[in-house]
Amino acid sequence: MTDSKYFTTTKKGEIFELKAELNSDKKEKKKEAVKKVIASMTVGKDVSALFPDVVNCMQTDNLELKKLVYLYLMNYAKSQPDMAIMAVNTFVKDCEDPNPLIRALAVRTMGCIRVDKITEYLCEPLRKCLKDEDPYVRKTAAVCVAKLHDINAQLVEDQGFLDTLKDLISDSNPMVVANAVAALSEIAESHPNSNLLDLNPQSINKLLTALNECTEWGQIFILDCLANYTPRDDRESQSICERVTPRLSHANSAVVLSAVKVLMKFMEMLPKDLDYYGTLLKKLAPPLVTLLSAEPELQYVALRNINLIVQKRPEILKHEMKVFFVKYNDPIYVKLEKLDIMIRLASQANIAQVLAELKEYATEVDVDFVRKAVRAIGRCAIKVEQSAERCVSTLLDLIQTKVNYVVQEAIVVIKDIFRKYPNKYESVIATLCENLDSLDEPEARAAMIWIVGEYAERIDNADELLESFLEGFHDESTQVQLQLLTAIVKLFLKKPTETQELVQQVLSLATQDSDNPDLRDRGYIYWRLLSTDPVAAKEVVLAEKPLISEETDLIEPTLLEELICHIGTLASVYHKPPSAFVEGSRGVQHKRIPIRSGSGESSESQDTGGAPGATEAPAAVIPSQGDLLGDLLNLDLTPPTSTAGAPPGPPMPMGGMDLLGGGLDSLLGGDIGGSPSMGSGFGAPAAVMPSSLNAPVGGGLGDLFDLGGGVGMPMGTFVPPKTLWLPAMKGKGLEIMGTFARRAGVIQMEMTLTNKAMSVMTDFAIQFNRNSFGLAPAGPLQVPTPLSPNQTIDVSLPLNNGGPVMKMEPLNNLQVAVKNNIDVFYFSCQYPISMLFVEDGKMDRQVFLATWKDIPNENEAQFQINDCHLNSDAASNKLQGSNVFTIAKRTVEGQDMLYQSMKLTNGICVLTELRVQTGSPTYTVSLKCRAAEVSQCVFQCYEAALKN
Amino acid sequence: MISQIFILSSKGDHLIYKDFRGEVGKDAVTVFYEKVTALTGDQPPVVMSHKELHFVHIRQGGLYWVVTTTADSSPFTLVEFLNRLTTLIKDYCGSLSEKSVRMNFALIYELLDEVVDNGYIQTTSTDILKNFIQTEAVTSKPFSLFDLSNVGLFGAETQQSKVAPSAAAARPIMSSRGDQGGKSEIFVDVVERMSVVIGSNGVLMKVDVEGQIRVKCYMPSCLEMRIGLNEEFSIGKSQLRGYGAAVRVDECSFHQAVKLDEFDQHRILKVCPSQGEHVVMQYLLSDELPSAPPFRLFPTIERDNGGRLLMYLKLRCDLPPKRADREPCVSVCSRSPSLSQELSSPDQKAELRAETRAVHWDIPRFPGGAQLSALFKLEVPGLSSASMMEVGPVGLSFELPKYTCTGLQIRFLRLTPVQAGSSQRWVRYVTHSDSYTIRI
Repeated sequence: MTDSKYFTTTKKGEIFELKAELNSDKKEKKKEAVKKVIASMTVGKDVSALFPDVVNCMQTDNLELKKLVYLYLMNYAKSQPDMAIMAVNTFVKDCEDPNPLIRALAVRTMGCIRVDKITEYLCEPLRKCLKDEDPYVRKTAAVCVAKLHDINAQLVEDQGFLDTLKDLISDSNPMVVANAVAALSEIAESHPNSNLLDLNPQSINKLLTALNECTEWGQIFILDCLANYTPRDDRESQSICERVTPRLSHANSAVVLSAVKVLMKFMEMLPKDLDYYGTLLKKLAPPLVTLLSAEPELQYVALRNINLIVQKRPEILKHEMKVFFVKYNDPIYVKLEKLDIMIRLASQANIAQVLAELKEYATEVDVDFVRKAVRAIGRCAIKVEQSAERCVSTLLDLIQTKVNYVVQEAIVVIKDIFRKYPNKYESVIATLCENLDSLDEPEARAAMIWIVGEYAERIDNADELLESFLEGFHDESTQVQLQLLTAIVKLFLKKPTETQELVQQVLSLATQDSDNPDLRDRGYIYWRLLSTDPVAAKEVVLAEKPLISEETDLIEPTLLEELICHIGTLASVYHKPPSAFVEGSRGVQHKRIPIRSGSGESSESQDTGGAPGATEAPAAVIPSQGDLLGDLLNLDLTPPTSTAGAPPGPPMPMGGMDLLGGGLDSLLGGDIGGSPSMGSGFGAPAAVMPSSLNAPVGGGLGDLFDLGGGVGMPMGTFVPPKTLWLPAMKGKGLEIMGTFARRAGVIQMEMTLTNKAMSVMTDFAIQFNRNSFGLAPAGPLQVPTPLSPNQTIDVSLPLNNGGPVMKMEPLNNLQVAVKNNIDVFYFSCQYPISMLFVEDGKMDRQVFLATWKDIPNENEAQFQINDCHLNSDAASNKLQGSNVFTIAKRTVEGQDMLYQSMKLTNGICVLTELRVQTGSPTYTVSLKCRAAEVSQCVFQCYEAALKN
Repeated sequence: MISQIFILSSKGDHLIYKDFRGEVGKDAVTVFYEKVTALTGDQPPVVMSHKELHFVHIRQGGLYWVVTTTADSSPFTLVEFLNRLTTLIKDYCGSLSEKSVRMNFALIYELLDEVVDNGYIQTTSTDILKNFIQTEAVTSKPFSLFDLSNVGLFGAETQQSKVAPSAAAARPIMSSRGDQGGKSEIFVDVVERMSVVIGSNGVLMKVDVEGQIRVKCYMPSCLEMRIGLNEEFSIGKSQLRGYGAAVRVDECSFHQAVKLDEFDQHRILKVCPSQGEHVVMQYLLSDELPSAPPFRLFPTIERDNGGRLLMYLKLRCDLPPKRADREPCVSVCSRSPSLSQELSSPDQKAELRAETRAVHWDIPRFPGGAQLSALFKLEVPGLSSASMMEVGPVGLSFELPKYTCTGLQIRFLRLTPVQAGSSQRWVRYVTHSDSYTIRI
């Protein structure tokens, strides 16, 4: 007879039979009966009716039977709380049993009975067990505190169990220490502000000592707890690292990864020139490599983590390319992850090896893998310029195989290569064209059409090719339709004579026969553009495209920082911050988000910022960027979204000049950035024009934009009020009030001159001393003279940047000399640096990302703006008026993040991240710029612009 | 933190279900099974999530071993834990199968209770656990040393009486205190996995050998065991011992219970083995092999005038003549739909399997120094010069008993205090192919 008989099917009087057996006198029979009950419980049968009978078996000295009964109790106590109380006495008695196994068993089971009523009976036994002489009982009791806390937190605090638990951290038994740490860590998570795990150098030292002695699982608790500690200085950091490093050779990969997490975090604090830093880097590589020899499941988890580590510190694994080569029998999900890491590690040094591998992969049988391999070849070409030629020839070889999906994938990546290296590899177009017929995926078709359109002048039969696509226009996906429309317009602009018919055909297909608003709008825009001003059309449609950036798929830097702190956890597998997937009520997210632990690098920002915002790493997510290709297609294919967001607006009257203006802007917006704010970005100068004296082009354009731009309308340049620059006392009667403004791209120095002297003033002239940005008057000071006593006039002096440069202190200080017939007067004034923000300061997203990453952290500064009550959209609009462009906006947990860029007249780019917490009047600005000196000035502008 | 643990049969039956934290309902089991069966091949199965619940699972012994968690736990811990749990249950129940889990459910519940508390992993060491566990394991049939019907992994010719039958290591560790008559045995296995890439020009492009020394101990009393490795064993590149023929590995890690005080001098591992199976040492060798790789392939591929692709494969075994490989299998990727073949010996067979899109060539026995050949004719529609590129790499899978490719040997195995005659010690070696790829 075996135990499997317990699982036999239910018979009618089964419960009844069990009842009888449970009440039998024979111990063996009882045990068998309880086993049967538990077997039924496991398969989901309801045996709760037997509760009293099972509880009756509890009072036994047979440990095996007792364990079985306890197992049953844990399962059903919740549904039978009143009955559970019946068992309490036995529990309390068992907690005093001479056998430590029984004491521990009782306290463990009691904690698992999640019935509120039982808790009051639990306290006394628990208190005793926490001080028990047997470590096995103590370690069980430590866990029980966490259980009790989950049921009734208040009770635990009132009874002082937390303090007892803290004492257990110093226990002599490492197992007890580990459980105490685990319990405290969990309790601390639901009390973010309590200082439960009071980590200080002494307690850290205790933990490090326990680390050497406890079981592997205990080591994990302790290491995870260490990771939450922030060492005071680099020396402490180094000494902890030294004591954690031996864990790297542990056989348990979870211990290794927890150690890696601690080291990756604490490494931030070590000065990079330290010898130890280099040693540590070297030590990190072998354990990571070893992880790759584990089972596929662990390998996958390891690879996801390595992917993060490689992005943060590529130097660790730069010599280990070979271990990421795909094995023939790796599961596909492992293969794809390895490919990704291979590309990230690709460099000039190893590119030949990588390419040879990729080429092999591209001939394997697994379709998904082959596709990704082909794509990887393209990414290598874009990343390592020296390899581009070899990549292209490899791709051509692959196209020769004529395997359908290989060809399509190759064409998609070749398109990207064209974008990156214009006018270099176009000789291959002929080969590509041969494969036109085999393309059946939208992405590949769109890419091919893009190539034909872009290089129409070099393809003799471009018109025929495009015409062939046009036949099935309505059956194509939107992506292909939009691309086809653009390509034919390009073709027309290049070869107007032969293709008139074709372009008319496509325009009518797009505008009249299509239900897709994006397609229709784009069609109309082209149509009007072509019919009113073909030259302008040419400039717009055939405009030079921005280069695509090298690094793709990068995780946004702040998110990466956060994920690094979560190495070895689910977050690192999902590549999402824990707050995105962990149940909110457990309150795990906030506390866990660690302080950016860099001392050398980020202390600056903490000093200046010094606010909670600075220490809480933002849970920012730049949208999953998709791959390079998606982004590229966005550049060209997404419809101009600036109009899409707006109300439909008035039906577009045909041929109106105004409309053209609006369309043009939005078209440009779509073509360059595809982000909503772009269109309005171009509108910005127009919008302030009416107030400007010398508005160059009709305000209609601006007005129209007002209609079309809708939400994204900027408020206009912020102009600070005039301040007194030269008091009459010093100016021998001449008083000058002034301010600066930027109107239509020109910096204006606006002054109010008042003659408070008794005599007439004439012969005004102005000169500037050398200054930081080379500001100089663009023309003479136009003061209608003479200026009679008590007369006031307003003058506006246009400035340019052609003057001599000298660094001033403060940076935006300007020393001015004004001369009149009486004397020469000197004064100095400060201009808001926003005057220097140029209109084309908007960065491409990719460039922004790359630049942000590129600028060293020392250059980051952080500021707070208090008492600002705008929402993020209004703030964005206001800033837009000062040529601060919002490139992207993310919302994470009610916190809006605006990523903004601006460019100064001398070409300096400033990148910022503006964090706006809904409902909080405090904004946080993080600012990165290669010339860190400007930070303070830029911050002042932010404050000024946002508060006005 | 572990929320629940459950074990499901491959058909989704609930075998074991244990809830530790009362956070999630029992329906998680159904959700998991639906999710895992709906997975497509390219989705990583390791971590799956459903709302706020995350599943981590492994498959062992044809069963799903699942843990769920609601917190941001470490998947390494969870996977590593599940692996330990399976070893533990295997140690206790003798083998891992639906049947053994069903029969020993009470024991497994008891184990789970001691192993995890409130979702915190407590211990997975048999040494500690044996103090607490009360339930006896139930085995399906009485163990017999003479049951040689299924000679598996380590088996060799049965005539060689010195070889332990593979079933010997598949019995519960605990029952040794019961009716097994105190048969105290200890098995030390050296298992190596090779992954090799040989380029189309015959050049060895990449070699990795991952090795383990596993100890499976049935001895009830704790005593010290000394395992002597080759004296010329060296770690890393710098430390060459003696002349040339050193046994070398690049990296090496040890179980935390291993004492290494005699390792540096004499290459002796000292360990007090606890009952059950443990990996005592793990090592890794990359790029350099002390001897030639065991198999070489000489492929020729050409087109014949009938529009077929001719693939002539010559396979040579470079092992010493006494060694023989057990049932190697060669597979060649190809997108071809049909195949005809000529093989060098009638007991071999070859077939084209649609699901893997590969030709599989099974060889029952392949003695060292021998050479085999096969000619495959593949029908390829629209044959062109490019089709040659489509014939993918050749993969070999094999198992070499009594052979280690690093050359690692166990010189001696000493138990102190010396056991009375009843103790038996077994040392076994085997090399598996992990991924043995020859490019064409």
